[in-house]
Amino acid sequence: MAIGKFGARDAGPVSRRTLLRAGAGLAGGALLPSGLILPALAEDQPALGTWPDGSSGSSVFVGISVPRTGTYAAAGEDLIKGYELAIEHLNAGSEIMTKISPNIKKGVLGKEVKYGIADSEAKPNTAVQNLTKFISDNKAVMVTGSVSSAEAVADNKTADREKVIYLVGISGSNDTTGKDCVRYSFRECFYGQTAAKAIMPVLIKNLGKNKKVAYLTPDYTYGHTVQKSMEEFGNEGGWTKATDQVSPLGTTDFSSYLLNVANSGADVVVNINFGRDAVLSIKQAKQFGILDKMTLVVPYNTPFLAKEVGADTMQGVFAATDYWWTLEDTNPIAKMFNDAFRAKYQYSPEWSANLAYAQIAMWADALERAKSFYPPDVIKAYEAGAKVQSTVGEVFFRGADHQLVRPVVIERGKKPADMKTPEDFYDIVEVVPGEGLMQSPTEFGCKLGSYT
Amino acid sequence: MLSLPNFAAQAFNGLVLGALLALIASGLTIIYGTLGVLNLAHGAMFMVGGYAGVVAYQYSGSYLVAVAAGSLFVMALGLLMERVVIRHFYDRPPEDQILVTFGLGIVYVELVRLTFGSLSQSMPPPSWAAGITSLGFMIYPTYRLAVVGIVAVALLALYLVLYRSRLGMIVRAGIEDAVMVDSLGIDVYRVFMIVFGIGAMAAGFAGIVNVPIAPITPDVGESILVETFVVVVIGGVGSFPGAVLGGLIAGEILSLTSMVDPSYSQVMLFLVMTFVLVVRPRGLLGEQGRA
Amino acid sequence: MIEARRGIRGLAFEGWTALALVVAPFVLPKIGFVPDTMNRVLVFGLFGVGFDLLFGFAGLLSFGQSAFFGTGGFVAAYLLTRMGLTSVMLGLAVGVVAAAVAGLLVGMIALRRTGIYFAMITVAIAEVFFFMENSPLSDYTGGENGLPGVPGPTFNFGFASVHVTGGWSMYVFLAVCYFVGLALARRIVASPVGRIFVAIRDNPLRAAAVGHDVHAYKLLAFVIAAAYAGFAGGLLGVLQGYMPPEAFTFDTSGQLIMQTVIGGLGTLIGPLVGAAVWLYLRDFLQGSLGMGASWKLALGVVFVLLVFFLRRGVVGGLSDLIALARSSARAPGKAAPGGGDDAPVFAAAPQNSNPAPPPARDPGEPEIAGPILQVRDLSKTYGGLAANSEINFSLERGELRGVIGPNGAGKSTFFKMLTCEINPSSGSIHFEGRDITNLGVTEVCQLGLSKSYQVNQLFTRLTPRENITIAALAERRGKFRLDLLRNPADIPGLSQQVHSTLALVSLTERADVPVSGLAYGEKRRLEIGLALATSPSLLLLDEPLAGMSPRERVETVKLLKSISKGRTTVIIDHDMDALFEMSERVTVLQLGKILVEGTPDEIKANAAVREAYLGGVLE
Repeated sequence: MAIGKFGARDAGPVSRRTLLRAGAGLAGGALLPSGLILPALAEDQPALGTWPDGSSGSSVFVGISVPRTGTYAAAGEDLIKGYELAIEHLNAGSEIMTKISPNIKKGVLGKEVKYGIADSEAKPNTAVQNLTKFISDNKAVMVTGSVSSAEAVADNKTADREKVIYLVGISGSNDTTGKDCVRYSFRECFYGQTAAKAIMPVLIKNLGKNKKVAYLTPDYTYGHTVQKSMEEFGNEGGWTKATDQVSPLGTTDFSSYLLNVANSGADVVVNINFGRDAVLSIKQAKQFGILDKMTLVVPYNTPFLAKEVGADTMQGVFAATDYWWTLEDTNPIAKMFNDAFRAKYQYSPEWSANLAYAQIAMWADALERAKSFYPPDVIKAYEAGAKVQSTVGEVFFRGADHQLVRPVVIERGKKPADMKTPEDFYDIVEVVPGEGLMQSPTEFGCKLGSYT
Repeated sequence: MLSLPNFAAQAFNGLVLGALLALIASGLTIIYGTLGVLNLAHGAMFMVGGYAGVVAYQYSGSYLVAVAAGSLFVMALGLLMERVVIRHFYDRPPEDQILVTFGLGIVYVELVRLTFGSLSQSMPPPSWAAGITSLGFMIYPTYRLAVVGIVAVALLALYLVLYRSRLGMIVRAGIEDAVMVDSLGIDVYRVFMIVFGIGAMAAGFAGIVNVPIAPITPDVGESILVETFVVVVIGGVGSFPGAVLGGLIAGEILSLTSMVDPSYSQVMLFLVMTFVLVVRPRGLLGEQGRA
Repeated sequence: MIEARRGIRGLAFEGWTALALVVAPFVLPKIGFVPDTMNRVLVFGLFGVGFDLLFGFAGLLSFGQSAFFGTGGFVAAYLLTRMGLTSVMLGLAVGVVAAAVAGLLVGMIALRRTGIYFAMITVAIAEVFFFMENSPLSDYTGGENGLPGVPGPTFNFGFASVHVTGGWSMYVFLAVCYFVGLALARRIVASPVGRIFVAIRDNPLRAAAVGHDVHAYKLLAFVIAAAYAGFAGGLLGVLQGYMPPEAFTFDTSGQLIMQTVIGGLGTLIGPLVGAAVWLYLRDFLQGSLGMGASWKLALGVVFVLLVFFLRRGVVGGLSDLIALARSSARAPGKAAPGGGDDAPVFAAAPQNSNPAPPPARDPGEPEIAGPILQVRDLSKTYGGLAANSEINFSLERGELRGVIGPNGAGKSTFFKMLTCEINPSSGSIHFEGRDITNLGVTEVCQLGLSKSYQVNQLFTRLTPRENITIAALAERRGKFRLDLLRNPADIPGLSQQVHSTLALVSLTERADVPVSGLAYGEKRRLEIGLALATSPSLLLLDEPLAGMSPRERVETVKLLKSISKGRTTVIIDHDMDALFEMSERVTVLQLGKILVEGTPDEIKANAAVREAYLGGVLE
């Protein structure tokens, strides 16, 4: 689609801005590129965050801050791949983007998207520094990325203070759109409460009532909120907690915890650890014979877990996840996305890449609907709750807490003999729809701040 | 979780945790005891040993080759380090020694990170130690059992060198009085270099032996270093038997505390170390007057 | 070492710093510094000022400063976010106090040991604090999330109100805070307390022996460093609008140490330079060169090289270069560089040809009748060896006693017990009627008993003038005084005492040459001068003539005779001719016991003495 000198504004509803712009264009801006018109017609709005500086040129900048080192590095790298593919597709005006939402054109509001990547080391302080640099140095119009909830929450606060939109990466804590929610942040992925509520009925159905549970919990907000949610929903089926083994982030030797689990008399072990902690704790659980006695449940699946741990260990394991590639059998967008990803990276995407891709696409959609980069306009476009298509079906953002309403995928590890391809680790047991699943927006204490 | 079977299991596991710490701490303590240098790069050398071994494994597919490579590489590193750097610091205040080894530790970590990236590297246990063993009161990974044996052999070898060889006698004399040894006409600097190499090798050996238990990343050295300090302090600086005893005690502290509240196990180590440092700084088996 | 200076010239350092701070926002952005980075540099620079006082000046290498950085930061942040305190400055102040208190408590534990053990305790403490922040106290600290929402300060000037947020307004605020912190540190360094810190780093043994309560000063240094750390921590929270848990990590302590060493220890401004280098390279190497994580490798290598070769870091190296250039430009042969510029306390007062020795300490109370020193049944055993056995020794006021004995007789051990450097196994010592048997060396010195050492125990990094000043400060101020902001020139009688002591040991000409540049004889005289400057009523001299040439001996004997006027003196030496010439009475020790006592003539004639020395006499 050709972009005229005055951009895609022709297509949208006529606003005061549009008229003014058109007028100026007619008046003598024939030689001016469309981007330069914006600041010349100073709006009645004062500058806010990186607006209008960040969007006054022919390109806009997106800052990506993810862990590239440390326990969560693998997920971070996968997020980057998703972001890069999405931005590539967006700039090229790819068909996948249009399928997700017909509003999306080439680039965003006619501008090319450029980006930068910084390592957050999964540390909140480093993440904050990265965001601050992207905002002050590069005038980023949007920042994104996280793997730990600690980062995400810190990023939330920073984005809200700097008045720049922040798209959450991976963050499993309920609080990210709960008590730590902010007006300027939006979360696509699933989280503790939804995972627990989705997986528990499946577990009760498959494993029975009145089971004893041993928890392996990483010692920070994400871990504790997921554990609480699991316990809460488990109570409904008479499931009780036998023990809760809390380990620090980055533990390499889980032997002490696993011995306690082995001696706890539990029937089920729920492993809330994420990233490399999950890989190690599961491998070692197998070594300590725990998986022979107890069923393993991973209520918040780590990308590449099955690959690193091995199909042999993962068979029969129940997991809740954001996206699994075999959804392509029933979802055409998933198929298109998977194919494009495989073409570029030679493996099927995990949910982190999918998440990143989706966030970029939905951002582009919101921008097109807002017809401007002015943050409050973009936020309001998000909050309007327009439905878009995605790799997991139809989804939309809730205005009240900025959480995407979307389904949770419950999967179960296949027997190695049943795997059709080397990546075919899971059977999809159920895709639980989001709307009945998610708690009310205020349940976790979300109070969004002001727009400006 | 205070039940008898769990107690037995944790006590046993503490032995395994402690064995490795004992080996690493032996290296640190003989270096400090002989040279008077606190090697803050010791944890990094543990890590380097792991990586060297993993690389050797990737080429050879053999566990034994990996262990040998890990140990020898770090020993060479230790010899080099003493000769090029540490030797010039004997006359400088102890704070300078601490600073230079601290700096070198960081350099090693970052070099490894540059070469290998930050994702973890792993190595499977050797086939003769793979799998699971049933011990009656619990199931235990065979390799961890093997590690106890392997470390015991290594400690025995160290013991033989220190207490039954001429070199070891010189080293022990050097721990007591380096000036005297020098006056007796023995090339003390060469002894120092060898001691540093041996101490480093102990760390490197432990590093590669640990990889099948817990995959290695460039950052593992930092926490190992601090835990090793604790062991050395509890056991007594400069004392080889102290390091062994201290290691076992530290391992037991870690695992038994986890029965009560796992999140406190690490901090319990530090509290014990502070307590020992204040009340009996020479540790359980250390020599007096080494403050 | 930073000299104390007065008047306009004295504030040159502060002036240049202020100028640099004002100019920086216009110059540095051109090479790639952004406001956020510069603000961080200021925060870490301030953090480092305290650390430099602790390590660069007092010589205490602590790996645990992050504990106080975090404590100050989180207390301030907690008050300002969860408790709704509105005054940011008050919040910061409370944070500083909290950090100082934490410093006091930690210091009381950690400072019970020295050197490497001290460093190890600080590592452990840092880890404990981090753990406390992360787990048990996470309700207050936000655990791994930290505390977001820390506000910036607002200043009401009556006519206008300025609210500080990010960017350049924050820079101004932080620059002012830094400048205040730096100027304060300069005052501390120039004060008597600062001088004593340096002495403690140089020779803690002697610092205690001349009458300073070394432990109290170390604790003071620790608390000051903790306070600075707490202030910097609070400012970090304000700068970011968020207080991160990483403030407590060992990494933060390590980063501080590296920055300070790179910038330059003992310069106060070194940490600022080091932080600038560190943060700039981190951004530059990571961003522009796309080097990723290897920026830390480059910095690590730089750090190691600096520890190796340029121990005083960038600033130290530069200032050494400048000093070198200055001194070679000066005419050769001139004795005292910088003599005229210095503050009066260090300046040479007009020469007095016959200086009177510093008076013996005024006991205050009426003189007690009886011997000034009474030693009863004093013994010291080491395992099976009896170094001293049941020594009974008494000294009349004003006596000049000689002590001789063959090697291994226990003379030095005896002296060490008298000065309470070591505790006797049994027996008692009474000095001026008071039982001093198990007091410490500092107390005893303050009471008026001090010693000059057999092996020189000087403050080798200082000049003779500075050496004597250290001793004189203890005499003037007692064993501990909290005069952090005092100018030494304001201490009554100090310069007079220093000057006259220097003149007495004939070191006036060489008073400003570093000790390392003195000849052996000069060092011995300084050694005596140190003991003398504490105004002892009982002066012990352990082999004052050792290693001297015949001519030096003659001079020193003259000196010893003059200084023994008006005080009681005991001299150990092997030069019997000199000793017999000077002493009124002589005590002979052998194998830890007193063999005989008497006048020099009596001793010379005594057969047992000859036998003890020569192993038998052929008659």
